Order: sequence, then structure tokens, then C-alpha cells
Amino acid sequence: MIELFTSRKLITFFLISAVVLVALFWLFDTIKDSFDRIVRDNHRQLVNVVVEAAPREEEDIENWVRMVNREFTEADIIYVRGVPGWDELEIYTHNDRLKAFFEQHRDTPDFKSGFDSVYYLENYYSRLDYSFDGKRVSVVLSPLITEMRDDLTGFLVFLMSAEAGKNFSRLLDIFMIGSFAAFVTIYFISKFFRDPVMGFIILGLFVMVGVFVAYPLFEAVRLTFISEGQFSMATWKTILSSRHYLEALWGSIRLGIMTASFATVIGFIFAFLITRTSVKGKKFLSTMGILPVISPPFSLSLSLILLFGSNGLITKQLLGWQDFTIYGLGGLTAVQTIGMFPIAFMTLSGVLQAIDSTLEEASLDLNGSRWKTFSRVTFPLAVPGVLSSWLLVFTNSLADFANPLLLGGSYRVLSVEAYIEVTGRNRLGHGAALSLLLLLPTLTAFLVQRFWVSRKSYVTVTGKPSTRLSDLVSRPVKYVMLSFVVLLTVFILGLYGTIVAGCFVENWGIDYSFSLRNISEALQRGRAAIVDTFTLSAIATPIAGLIAMMAALVLVRKKFVGKRLLEGLILAPFAIPGTLIGIAFILAFNKPPLILVGTGAIIVINYIIRELPVGVEGGVATLRQIDPAIEEAANDLGADTPTVFRTIVLPLIRPAFISGMSYTFVRSMTAVSAVIFLISARWYHMTVLIYNFSENIRFGLASVLSTTLIIIVFATFGIMRLLVRKSEHLEKSVSF
Amino acid sequence: MSKASVPVRIDRVTKVFKDVRGKADVIAVNDASFEISPGELVTLLGPSGCGKTTTLRMIGGFELPTRGRIFVANEDITNLPANKRDTATVFQSYGLFPHMNVFDNVAYGLKLRKLPGKQIKEKVMNTLGLVGLRDLAERSPGKLSGGQQQRVALARSLIVEPSVLLLDEPLSNLDALLREQMRVEIKRIQKSLGITTIYVTHDRVEAMSLSDRIIVMKDGLIRQIGSPDNIYEDPNSKFVAGFVGKVAFFPVEVLNIDSTCTVEFNGTKHELSKFSEDLQVGDKAVIMARPESLKLLEPTKGIIEGQVNTNIYLGGSLESFVTTEQGEILVQIDNPAEKKIFAEGEKVSIGIIPNLVKVLPDKDE
Repeated sequence: MIELFTSRKLITFFLISAVVLVALFWLFDTIKDSFDRIVRDNHRQLVNVVVEAAPREEEDIENWVRMVNREFTEADIIYVRGVPGWDELEIYTHNDRLKAFFEQHRDTPDFKSGFDSVYYLENYYSRLDYSFDGKRVSVVLSPLITEMRDDLTGFLVFLMSAEAGKNFSRLLDIFMIGSFAAFVTIYFISKFFRDPVMGFIILGLFVMVGVFVAYPLFEAVRLTFISEGQFSMATWKTILSSRHYLEALWGSIRLGIMTASFATVIGFIFAFLITRTSVKGKKFLSTMGILPVISPPFSLSLSLILLFGSNGLITKQLLGWQDFTIYGLGGLTAVQTIGMFPIAFMTLSGVLQAIDSTLEEASLDLNGSRWKTFSRVTFPLAVPGVLSSWLLVFTNSLADFANPLLLGGSYRVLSVEAYIEVTGRNRLGHGAALSLLLLLPTLTAFLVQRFWVSRKSYVTVTGKPSTRLSDLVSRPVKYVMLSFVVLLTVFILGLYGTIVAGCFVENWGIDYSFSLRNISEALQRGRAAIVDTFTLSAIATPIAGLIAMMAALVLVRKKFVGKRLLEGLILAPFAIPGTLIGIAFILAFNKPPLILVGTGAIIVINYIIRELPVGVEGGVATLRQIDPAIEEAANDLGADTPTVFRTIVLPLIRPAFISGMSYTFVRSMTAVSAVIFLISARWYHMTVLIYNFSENIRFGLASVLSTTLIIIVFATFGIMRLLVRKSEHLEKSVSF
Repeated sequence: MSKASVPVRIDRVTKVFKDVRGKADVIAVNDASFEISPGELVTLLGPSGCGKTTTLRMIGGFELPTRGRIFVANEDITNLPANKRDTATVFQSYGLFPHMNVFDNVAYGLKLRKLPGKQIKEKVMNTLGLVGLRDLAERSPGKLSGGQQQRVALARSLIVEPSVLLLDEPLSNLDALLREQMRVEIKRIQKSLGITTIYVTHDRVEAMSLSDRIIVMKDGLIRQIGSPDNIYEDPNSKFVAGFVGKVAFFPVEVLNIDSTCTVEFNGTKHELSKFSEDLQVGDKAVIMARPESLKLLEPTKGIIEGQVNTNIYLGGSLESFVTTEQGEILVQIDNPAEKKIFAEGEKVSIGIIPNLVKVLPDKDE
């Protein structure tokens, strides 16, 4: 897409760039100069004040200088007695290094001219910068006149800090280089690109992922190798040799294995029942199989605590158990399994649907028993799908932060451990290292999925889904499976019911009388958080939606250098645990040049970065189905890139656009793991408030906020369904 | 729609597709040059992958040449983006906007040009009339037949009054009957508007029947440029000869070249008037013979012996498939009623009609 270079264009380009560089240089130099002047004016005033206050008696001066040096932190002062050029100079100072400094420089031309000024009773302001004690200082020489001689008795040498000026000019340099680079890039694109708009979009995307994905992650990694300002492996040594942390690592992995195994089995039963048997109410069952995946964080844990906690309805009130505890591995496995088996269900029902059932019929036809057909045909074909669903749940379990935080008890996992290191012990380096450790199993699972499982896929795509399905299991087996699924469904509904019930109860566990007190208190105390969360999510949603669609367009339709890198960086946050992103964000954005910690912007940016991958994937999938000739035709008829995007692309990928946006909105409203690091007194988050309420045993209040979130989530998906259905005719006609 | 016709010129254009994964680059178009006169209809003909569509897309502005310049109306448009070019493309897959009805599809270009609504309506209906779709303005393109979609695409391109019309295999998605109909239609509209047109196809019949001139391409190279009869009767290579029609090749050796070319086949010398200029004495060559430049003779009277395998009677002509040591050779006998017919299974000899055959270098297929 870069146009052919012509020498005339190149010459103008370099000429204009050079002019701009000179102009910028002049501008920043002027700013530096005037800043310099202000600093020197300050120095002048300080020198005047000090010299005015000098004692008139010669013998008092030494004491006075000592006193001044003690009181004044802005400057170090050396007293030199004697008239330069006439007398032998005697140096008085409390500090040997000051003396050495003077001795070192007294023969330089700069000091010599200083002596001349002093001789003529004038102050001398050196134009040069000196270094003293590793800091930048300006030097001023000022003559001293005492009453006794009524003449020059000596002079004072002031060493005044020039650090502020140095920092300021360094910042100015960064700004100057930055603005010149920005100018050159933008000018280059608009001059040499055939389609500058597209060039700017690509540049914008690169800048975005560079600043908000690559840079924070780099900072996080860097911090783990730095200790007391120097490169060091100390952090990693501590982490990898301490039992405490290794226990957390093992805890995460153990929980992941348990959850992934249970969730995959349950997901398989669900999927098998729906795709391979003839039970009634499949639609309802598959809704139930997906439902838990959109439940807000904490809600399932909260419900489990209400039912099985130390004051739980079932464990205490109904069964009267004393030493049962839901906190720990058991409770976590239960809650994660329920929350994550939908992932397995969705993956596996896709896989099972794709397996051509005529293969099974062929096996039955050849007198294979049902069990033989299942174990020799269906299951082997589904193995890659089973593996990838297991890995998917495993990585999700490892990245999970909300459930272990609330339900972990003394059971330690990495994500929570990293959070405690950062917020509780203020050890950011440890936190970053722990969350990076979390990335290892996640990445391994991802790579195994990508390069091993996907290659073993036996899915047969015939494009002709067979309509007739013979039952692959005997009746009793089918009914055992069905009753299991129904029981689980009832249990899930019960969990939701418990949360809703929790809103209307005076004090769960103690007083079960009906009350609306919790609702009014929760809405009153949580109002600010609800408004904040809603506002920030509502701001992030359309931005993320539009960026996702533009990124999808660029990735599908354009060829450019670094496309795979851009794609990788855009999609990376999907695989990175939220804890790591949260820690990386506070590391990167609590210092210049970008100070964002404490603002609402950092939360919005975090939403956008984290939810972009799903939107982009959706957009890419939709765009791949759209004939590029449609956009080319519009372009050919005179539409420029923005017009094509507005009038053709956006209407055509509307379903992906809308579902991407609702997904972003819901995920932002229910975010925890990264956001918990980024909230501030000004910008609070609903989910964190739910956690705070639960920690303070105010389960009623937590229930109300959870219910509010559940309602918002359902409402959003409901609206999305309505909007997408209306444009369904498009999807069908796109591929003619 | 009365606009002066303009010429198109391609000057040493090369297009290299860089392979992203670091494998070999693909040279899609290799140093191609040609000129098209105002109002002319020129076809780019060649097998798939020969670079004809890439050439068209470079003229349309969808690909940028790696080297070379493109001129429309004597103006260098090489670096102009598609939306600023005065060309209009009809795509192989039509690229109709599925979320707009026929009217809005056709009106799209005019709306971008900010014409008043009344004028747009008038022009759209006129153009739809030209392609015979006036009654279907409100239909969604998904509900049209292939031929109707094709006409919408054509109308949508014509309405912006382009200087150059570019057609990329426009008929390849239609059935045979419709294809013939649309061919006539396109030719009629093109002639009535006098619009300079470049037409890409791999179908030689389409190319022959439509074009003023044909450009034959292979492997990114232009192999021959000429009028349909010129290309058919006087091809410059075995490839062109074989691509634009049925042909038989007889391997020979060149014995002498002056105003005629003397070759030896099966021990017999033949002096032929049509021959390729690259030939030199001693070269291996072939005699290129079309089915109608061969005749059937009694055994031993012709240049090669054979046996009639199948006869297909076509009314105005008869096609005889003869098995010889050179493989099966098709001989077309015009006005069979006046000629001697050899029955299937009979031994025959094939003779050439010397002024209709041509000697070509024995290179490539």
C-alpha cells in the first residue's frame, strides 16, 4: 500500500522534515532558556538574601557559614578568605568534599573569571554546570565585605542544585523527540501512502497495543529482574525457593486439574445428551448449560457460602453440622466446576455436532453394540475436542481470581497470592513475578492446544448435518444421564434463587425474616460504585466495539509489515491472566510519561484492551465470510476508506459489532481480576464492593449487588438478541 | 452518457506478490506493455494464474504495480487510488451490496457524488432500463437470478459514466445459454456507449466473439496481441495456437528458409508460405494445423497414415477423429455432402492444405 517513491516527493519530504526539526529545536530551546532564566533568578534572590544576612564581623563568618549550611538545604556554601590575586586563599567549610570540589576547580578558566568578578565586587554566575555528590549544581561566587576592613575580605561560593532544571530539560528532550517522531510518521503516511486513512488506523493500532499491552508487560517483566535499582535475580530466587509461593503454584495447578476434569465430564454429558440422544427439552437444557458462564464473579461463591458456609442454610440450619467448611479446595472446585463447565459444554457440543453421525450409524449397522460404537467411534473422534476443552477450562481456572479470593480460605492460589503481595505487602516485584508464573501453565496449555490438539482434529465437515439421530445409549443409561443433568440444573437454579432470596432476608444465617432493609442500604451505599461501573463500562463499550471492527478489517483485508505482531499483541490479553494485566498497568502508569493510576481512564483502557480480542475474533470471522469484491466495488465507485467502512463494512458486520459490544459491556461490568488493582477512591467498582461486603459478612448487601449485576447482564444479552435477530437476513444474503 | 472515449496504455508493468512467509515471490505480471485505442474492446485471455486478473486489478486501482506505469486518457494514474480513478469494474462475483436493494445498489455511486435525489432517481431508472431491470428496482440482490445480478453489477458500474469499463470474468457464474445472451448484451451496450473496455476471460469462444483485439497471456507474460482472426490463423507459438482453438502439431525439421519455409516430415519435403520468423535452418519445428486446414485422402496419398475412429456429423461440417502414430487428430470436413466420406474403421491418409497451415518453433505447450 505504500506508493512508489519519486525523487521530488522524497526531497520535499526531507526538506519539510528538516524545517520542522529546526523549528521544534528552536521552540524547545527557547522554552529551556526561559526555564533556565527562572531558575537563575531564583538562585540570584537566594544569593542576595544570604549575602545580606552575612555578619559584618570577620570572625563571625566561619560560624555563620556553618549555621547557614546546616539550615539551608537548597545550597552548599564555601567561605573563602582572601582577595583573589592578592592574598593566599583560605578555605573554610564544614565539608571536606566541598573543599576538594573547590580545590579541584579553582584553576579552571570559569573560576578564574569568577575571581575577577569578585575582585570588582560583583557577583559571578557561572554558565557551566558542575557535578557535586553525583548531582548537578550551578556555581555562584559572591564577594563579602566586612566592616573591619571595609573592603573585600573574601567571598562565598554557592553550590546550588540544578537537578530540577536537568529533569525538566530531559523531559523537554523526550517531548521534542516524541513530537518530531510523531510528525515524521504522520507526514510520511499522508505523503507516501495511497490510503493514508488506513495507514493512520494501522499506526493507531500499533501505538495502542504498544503503549497499553507491550509496554506494561515489559515493565512487569523488568521489575521482576530489578532489586534496589539494579539487575538482580533476587525476586525470582525468593519466589522459586520459598515453600510458601511454590505451595500457591501447586495450589493453582491442583485446582485447575480438578476443575478441568470435573467440568469436562459434566460438559461432555450435557453435550452428549443434547447432540446424540433424543431427549425432550433440549433447548431448555442447552440454555441451562450456558447460563452459569455469564454469572457475575462472586455470585456463585456467595451463594455457596449462603448455603454451605459456617452460617449456611443447609449446613447449619438444616443439617446442624459443626466442623464442615466450604472454604478451600472442595468449595473452590465445586464453584469453578459449575461456573466453567459451560465452556466445556459449548466446545464439546460443537465437536460432537461436527462428527458425522452416519459414521455411528455405519458402526451400528455392522452390528457393533452401542457401547462399542461409542467407545470405538464416537469417543475417539471426540478426543481432540475433549482435550482442548480440558485445557480451556484449566487455563480459565488458573486465571480465576474472584472465587479463590472469596472462597479460598487458607488454600492458596497464585492469583490471590499475587494480589496480596501487591496490595497487602506492597511488594510489586513479587506480585509481578507470581502473576508471570501464572502465565507459564496458561501459555503451555495454549500452545499444546494450538499446535498439538488442533492438528489431531478428526472433525469431518460434510456441510450436511444428518437429520436423523439414533440413540447411542440404552434407555437406562440415558435416564441416568438425564437425571444427573436435571439435578445439576436444579442446583444451579437453586444457587441463583439463593442470591435473590438473600436480598430479602433480614440477616442471613441468623434471622430469616422478610426485610427490604438490605436493598435500600445496598443501593444507598453502592450507588456511587454502580454509577461508576456503569459509566466506565458504557464509555468503553462503543470505543472497544469500533476499534475491534477496524482492527478486524485491517487484519483480514490489508497486507502490511508486522501484521502478525499486531495480531498477536491485540489477541494476547485474552490469554493473559487479569491479575498480571492489573499489576502491569499499575507498574507502567504510575510514573511519567504516562501517569494514569487513579483516573477513570486507566479502567476504561483496561476494559478495552482486555475485551478487544473477542470483538476482533468475531469481526474477523464475519469479515472472512464477506466477499472482498463488495468493499472493492464501493471503493471503485468513489467511496474512500472511511465511507466504505461506514456504508458497507459496518452494516454488513453489524451482528459481530453488536455482540462484540454487548460482550464488552457485560465483561466490563463484571470485571474483577485486573480492575481490583486499578480502582481508586474516586472510581470504585461494583464487583469489588460485593467482595468488600462479603468479607465483612454483610451477605445481604452483597446479594443485592450481585442480583443487580445479574439483571444487568441478562438485560444486555436480551437487548443484543433482539438487535441481532433483526439483522439476521443480512448474514444469509452476504454469501451469495 | 455521452463522453469522449479515451485510450489506455500499460507501460512495462510488473507485479510481484511478496510471499509473507518468506518463500519465493510470485511474479504475477512480467513486464507487460500494451495500448488500447479509444472505444476499443480488448480481451485479456489466458489460463487461470496467467496474470490477466492482476493486470485488470492494477488498471482498476486495487493492486499497485511493482514497476511500470499505467495511463488512462494519456494521464499517469499509476498511484491514484481506486476511488479517484475514472474506471469502473464489474467483478467476477459481482460484489453487490447485500444490505441494499437494486435501486440503492445502482444509486450508490451517484449518492457519493452528491447528486440531487430527483436526478439520481431519473438516472438510475434510465440505466436499469438499459439493462432491462426497470421492474426489479425494489428487489434485494439476494432474490435475483445470476443473470439479473450480473446486470445490476453492470448498471452500477455504467451509471457513474466511467472512461474505462473493466470486466473480470463477468459471465463465468452464468449457465451456457445466459452467457451467450449476456455476451450479446454487453457487446451492444459497449458499442452504443463507445466506452473503452477491457474484458478478462479464460473462455476462448467468449474472447473471439466479443473482442476487437485479444491479448493472450501465460505465466505473467503477454504471448500475443492481435485481432481474433489473426490470433486464430496466425498464432506465434504452440501455446497460443493450442489455447485459442483445436489444433494438431506435426514435428518437422527446418531445411531451408527464404520467402517460404521448407520442412521435412516423414521423409517428405513441404514448402510452406506461413512460418514463424524466429525459425532458423536446422531447428526442430512443428506444422500447426487447424482441423479445417486438414483433409482426408486415400491411404498413402497424404502426409500421415491413420484409421478413422469416429465421425460426428454436424450438418454444415463433419468431424472425423483419426487415429495416427501422432495420436488422435481431428479433421474437419466442410460441406460433407460434396466430399468423399471415409466410414469409421476405414484406413485413410491425412493431407494438409499448405496455405492454411503454419510452421512454429517446437517450444512450450
